[in-house]
Amino acid sequence: MAMTYETRVAWQNRMLLVPALVLLACFILIPAGAAIYISFTNEALSGFAAAHPQLVGLKNYVRLFSDDGFWNSLVVTAFFVFGSSIVGQFVLGLASAMALSRPIAFRPVFNAAILLPNAVPEVVAGFIWISMLAGGKYSTVSRIVGLVGIPPQNWLGSLPLLMIIVVNTWRGIAFAMILMTSGLSAVPTDVYEAARMDGATPRQIFWRITLPLLRPTIFLYMLVSTAGTIAIFGLIYTLTRGGPGGATEIIGIYIYNQSFTAYQLGYGSAVAVIMLGVSVAIGTVYVRVLKVQV
Amino acid sequence: MVAAISGAVVSSCTSAQTIRVAEHRPARIDALNKSIPSVEKQLGISIEVVEYPAPERDYMSKLLTELGAGNAPDLFTANFDSDVADLVSAGYLAPITAEVKAWDGYAHLFDVAKKLSTRANGEIYALDSMLGVEQIYFRRDLLDKAGISTAQPTSWKDLLDRAREIKKKTGKYGLLLPAGISWGGGAFNEGFALFVPGSKTPQIANDDGTLNLNGEGVRDILGLYRSLIDEDLMPIEPLLGPEPWVIPKYTMFPAGDLIATTCGTWCYIYDWGKDSKNPVPDVIKNVGTWAVPGMAGGSSVTVSGRNIWAVNAKSAHLVLAKKVLLALSSVNATVAYAQLLGNIPARKDAADNRDFQALTELVPVLKNVENGTFLKSAPGFSVVSEGVARATEALLRKQTDAVGAQAILVKYVKDLLGDKVVK
Repeated sequence: MAMTYETRVAWQNRMLLVPALVLLACFILIPAGAAIYISFTNEALSGFAAAHPQLVGLKNYVRLFSDDGFWNSLVVTAFFVFGSSIVGQFVLGLASAMALSRPIAFRPVFNAAILLPNAVPEVVAGFIWISMLAGGKYSTVSRIVGLVGIPPQNWLGSLPLLMIIVVNTWRGIAFAMILMTSGLSAVPTDVYEAARMDGATPRQIFWRITLPLLRPTIFLYMLVSTAGTIAIFGLIYTLTRGGPGGATEIIGIYIYNQSFTAYQLGYGSAVAVIMLGVSVAIGTVYVRVLKVQV
Repeated sequence: MVAAISGAVVSSCTSAQTIRVAEHRPARIDALNKSIPSVEKQLGISIEVVEYPAPERDYMSKLLTELGAGNAPDLFTANFDSDVADLVSAGYLAPITAEVKAWDGYAHLFDVAKKLSTRANGEIYALDSMLGVEQIYFRRDLLDKAGISTAQPTSWKDLLDRAREIKKKTGKYGLLLPAGISWGGGAFNEGFALFVPGSKTPQIANDDGTLNLNGEGVRDILGLYRSLIDEDLMPIEPLLGPEPWVIPKYTMFPAGDLIATTCGTWCYIYDWGKDSKNPVPDVIKNVGTWAVPGMAGGSSVTVSGRNIWAVNAKSAHLVLAKKVLLALSSVNATVAYAQLLGNIPARKDAADNRDFQALTELVPVLKNVENGTFLKSAPGFSVVSEGVARATEALLRKQTDAVGAQAILVKYVKDLLGDKVVK
């Protein structure tokens, strides 16, 4: 039976999706499925279990719920995501977008200064900040603050979580700024004109017009940024390796440590599966409850 | 076209085979590169050195990932003897018993090297081509200056009292024992394990594969750590960060801010020797050694394997890889490593080598090798090593006492290896 024109077009559209689906399957779905399977085994990188992995049911999951290290990494991750992504990057990104939407002197220079950190690879950014923060009195930051009388610190040793929040904020402002800029450009200018004619103050314009109209963009940013920040590994591993004493052991580093330094692939996979569930739940909240169009 | 193809086949048959050898850290790579030309000439092969990340832990993580995936190099070293049993039970290592026993160098090996290399079933899977002699290293010059005795401590109490005296008279840290998760296998192999022979639990591994972790001896060793930490006799902050050995061993000890630490023969050359980053002047004179005292008396010097060469069980060139392994265990090759790293060749005939005789820091230590003791290892020892790292981490962070730390160790090992393994 010959296809109608609409059916043919629908199939053509589906075929266009096939390459993306193949890549999604190869690099996301199949590895995720393998990780879920491994999480139910005692697979390891060394020892008898490496050669003869066995199904152990929910043993890994039972273990992780009584593992203080897992809960510590969840708490550290929560603070890290909230501090850098939800507060730091968003606030500074929005402020930068609003400031750079006006005609100010040297706008291209400020634009480049904000965008450049995002262009630097994670590991390179980590090494840059090690030279800024490590070394006690010899670190660049210690020398700078020493000019105003603040004593030198072992920044990564005494304030590790705050430091990684600062570094990740520095790195992520550009993405927030770009999204907010595009969101701001979609706000009709006549709305602002009308508000000014009605006597609205800049503060009222911001809270009553700009923010509400930016809401879809803001929550889209939150969705992408939260998921991305939860998955960060290279930057923090380069800076602190999760130390000192687990103070910066975000969940990605915890999974790495369990899988590749304690050699317990099964247990590491169980933690990764839990975090997959958490990320999916967070995404569902953003998309469903807040009615964000993606 | 047929001629071109057959030409290519012929040329590939006649060109030298390539053996891939894993190595990490610049000093080790330099030592290996010194030996490669003679080995290539001797065996008519080509050797490709595959460089791995420098820190021991990262090296092992990458190597194990590749071994699991089946694309690791033909030849590599294990970091510690405690790693070998698990590499064997994972099926990663090819047996080399026949080749080693037929080798002319076998007769020259120290007995302790033969014992360390031989598994409980008599098979050899990895060859300890070099040995580390591990003791307590102390700044003799600074103790003399402070009027503190440099005599061999006679017990753990004497050792602790000496550390307290150092702290009181000099204000400096009295004794460092490697500890914590960041130190990796060193927390066990270079710290905890040295005190096992003199404790109430003189061996961890039993011949039946069970592990003595519930005993008093283990608790007493963790109690020693707890005392050093609680009384601020050892630095703690550096041990909680990445590469925790850097500040205490490469900065504090040469500067005299840390007076004593457990270490091995490599410290005389790699850590504090004249070509090191922060040398101790006149190191042989100013840095002395103590054997590790027993808890209630006696003392021991622990000998452990270094440069523990092994052949990948899935190597496509098993026969050649085994020949390269033996060639890299020659006197010249091991002396090249000794010159740059400071461990002792596992062969008695190295003493006659002119280049080794020039290593005046190491020559006297060679005599101690045969008197050394060692810990037996068993499958699961890498889990014990990680468990000790976690237990001592909890002590460093003052989250628990010795009993609690032992419970952390036992729980970790039981979770991974099963309840029946732990005695």
